Amino acid sequence: MATEVTTTVPGNIWKVLVKEGDEVKKGDTLFIMEVMKTEVNHDSPVDGKVIQVHVVNDQEGVDPGTVAIVIE
Amino acid sequence: MVEVIKQGLETSIQDYPGRIGYWDQGFPPSGPMDSWSFRLANILVENQSTAAALECQFIGPTLKFKSDRVIAITGADMSPKLEGKSLPLWESIEVKANQVLEMSFATLGARSYIAFSGGITSDPWLDSRSTFHKAGVGGMKGKAIKDNQILPLGKSTGIPGRKIKKNSIPEISNDKRWTIEVVKGPNDDWIDEEGHKMFLKSDWKLQAKSDRTGYRLEGPKWTFTEKATHKGLEHGSEPSNIIDQGYPIGAINLAGQTPIILVNDGPSMGGFINPYTVPSVAFWKLGQSKPGDIYSFNEISVEQAQSLRSDQTSICSDRSIESKDDSQSFMKGSTKTKDINQIKVRDFDKEKEKEKTRDKLMEKKGLEKMKVRYFD
Repeated sequence: MATEVTTTVPGNIWKVLVKEGDEVKKGDTLFIMEVMKTEVNHDSPVDGKVIQVHVVNDQEGVDPGTVAIVIE
Repeated sequence: MVEVIKQGLETSIQDYPGRIGYWDQGFPPSGPMDSWSFRLANILVENQSTAAALECQFIGPTLKFKSDRVIAITGADMSPKLEGKSLPLWESIEVKANQVLEMSFATLGARSYIAFSGGITSDPWLDSRSTFHKAGVGGMKGKAIKDNQILPLGKSTGIPGRKIKKNSIPEISNDKRWTIEVVKGPNDDWIDEEGHKMFLKSDWKLQAKSDRTGYRLEGPKWTFTEKATHKGLEHGSEPSNIIDQGYPIGAINLAGQTPIILVNDGPSMGGFINPYTVPSVAFWKLGQSKPGDIYSFNEISVEQAQSLRSDQTSICSDRSIESKDDSQSFMKGSTKTKDINQIKVRDFDKEKEKEKTRDKLMEKKGLEKMKVRYFD
């Protein structure tokens, strides 16, 4: 079953740390957002394989609740 | 007492009006960015107006209560849950010892306020408990709250079930557009006519690199008067450079071509011009907006800003608590909130003209000594 990882803050995508096909473990950081000059890590909630990446480095003005990564 | 299970993104202890009286030594007032919502939270739990409460930014905390309390949550909607059950905003709520309050991320607005009956009784510094984390003062050890900390609370009073009248609640919307009031100055004479027109007509996008110090805006280019372009070298090389000067709180500080609104934790001085200033009455809008939101600016006079501020102060009082009669007839209530949200700009010049005409008429009738008031 696929798991969607959504953004939790409004702001910019600072760094995307995974690409499609990567194996990830629960707790691994998938991407980092920037809001209020603060880095907000978004970690994987599950073990699995990254099947979709919908965000890129330095992407601006991303709303909270946006699907960023899909893991299977 | 209340235990911090999860700290949230940057949750800090604040009080209103904050650390007042030390601006000349470089200490900003700090305090809640949306003081309208903050004050109403304290009123709901019947705290003194100076009581400290929590400001939660974008992602709220998870808290475990060590004693029975009455709490109130106002401002942004972070889907608060008590023991997994959704809680209403703008209402006083009873919490029992050992219960857990969980807040998620903001789906409406940006800053949520949690007031506890008895208030947070952390150690004050220079007369205020407000956190100013850049200097490491106020709050808990000078910083935002952290996992596993215990927040001390005062003696609990307050009753559950108190509600804020619908028309006393600030209108926070998700349409990403805000009209922000500004007053001209102090350095408006450094901007040429084109520049002023451009500023008031343009859309300004709030950048993610914004925090409680400053709000960075993205928009068109500014143009300047000779004062900015032909000046002594001591002012600095940019047109927006000026010999270091004191800044007002709310200054729209022009750093090169980037306007930065200096907010609650902002600097008290520096070497850039401030063509406009956001009055305190509009700060709640800054506090509830998110990166990517669009601002447009509406110029008002200092007198208008003061009158709106006194309207806002009167809303932030016991008068905004819903009584039994109100709950049946709140739809008919006053329109004061609406006035603040959609300020009707009074045309002062036009009114002065009217007064002049009236004066002339009176002179004709021999009534020249009549007292005339320009403002209600």
